[in-house]
Amino acid sequence: MPVWQSIYEELKSDTFEIISVAQDTGGEEAAGGIFDDANVTYTSIIDVNHHISSLYNLLNVPSGVWIDETGKIARINEGTYAKTHFDGAWGTDDYVPIVRDWVANGEDSQYVWDSEKVRENIFQRTPEAEKAQPAFRLGTYYFTNGNDEKAEQYWTLAQELDPDSWNYLRQDLQYEDGGSAGPEWSERRERIEGAGGTYYAPLDIEQDN
Amino acid sequence: MKSSKSIGLVLGSLLFTGLFSGLVNAQSAVVLYNERVVEIDQTLPDATELWVTPEDLTRINDFVLKPQGACLAELCIPILQDRDSDMFVTRANQGWLNFSGLADKLQQASMTDYNDGIWSFGTMPLERQSFFRAGEAPDFELPDRDGNIVKLSDFRGKKVLLLTWASW
Repeated sequence: MPVWQSIYEELKSDTFEIISVAQDTGGEEAAGGIFDDANVTYTSIIDVNHHISSLYNLLNVPSGVWIDETGKIARINEGTYAKTHFDGAWGTDDYVPIVRDWVANGEDSQYVWDSEKVRENIFQRTPEAEKAQPAFRLGTYYFTNGNDEKAEQYWTLAQELDPDSWNYLRQDLQYEDGGSAGPEWSERRERIEGAGGTYYAPLDIEQDN
Repeated sequence: MKSSKSIGLVLGSLLFTGLFSGLVNAQSAVVLYNERVVEIDQTLPDATELWVTPEDLTRINDFVLKPQGACLAELCIPILQDRDSDMFVTRANQGWLNFSGLADKLQQASMTDYNDGIWSFGTMPLERQSFFRAGEAPDFELPDRDGNIVKLSDFRGKKVLLLTWASW
């Protein structure tokens, strides 16, 4: 987050904005301090219902979407970090340079996708998986009102309806023994990656021309 | 849902009796719609459908009931109001609209806790047609940390880098 703030200070202008959206049921209490510690001045939202991930079919965090001046998407559904963390344990140094290139060159940037590629990269959900969002929303309503039992019931249902979403799983695990990156998460990540799946949405920068 | 009513012998006839006898038992509900939490003081008793007044319709999703139907800007879902149907009934001069039926017509995903009367609805697929077909960014309105509404379409003329993250 502090890295994004320094990138923002470098790139911000009348024609560029960062909108950063925390997918956090715990609200201000959970995510506010992280924004504060980074002295964030870009647009900051705490999205307790994970509305943005649902609307843009994003499965994990962090994820990035480029939206041009006309409201068209130029890239979508990429696991994005501002830099590598902990000697390459996660993250990438490859993303920020392409953001810079886009901000400088706009639609002429070699990293802007055509609408065909954008369409191909929008994750497709089944009608059943579309029901996960109202289920998760219902669970969050119960959670907010102190009914943990019903919250758990509907959050679990959301995970069953949309098993591709890491957000629903990890948000829920945060409130359980082991936490959001505990044994259950590790086991599932290994299973998915062992089957050739991906944890983060792929970031295929070198393939762009 | 109309068919299930006419098939269900006991429950169905009880419901019809309730609806047609003109007795309106107050039954409250909570509707979760986008970021809204809308408390409805009165609905019609019904095991499977959510009936709301035209005023509550607008409170939930900004649709307005007009003679031609339930409308949002240019979009209108035709609803006959001169006689009772599975979408609209009149009881004691009060019109009631089948909100869950409207959501079905709009193909919205939904999830309901019937015991507690809490209804949760997903976004209208219509809102995302141009997203899937042409890669247009779906618009959204969410409050920022100061409570100001952030509306994506207000950023036209700017490039926007939309980032998600989480504390967990």
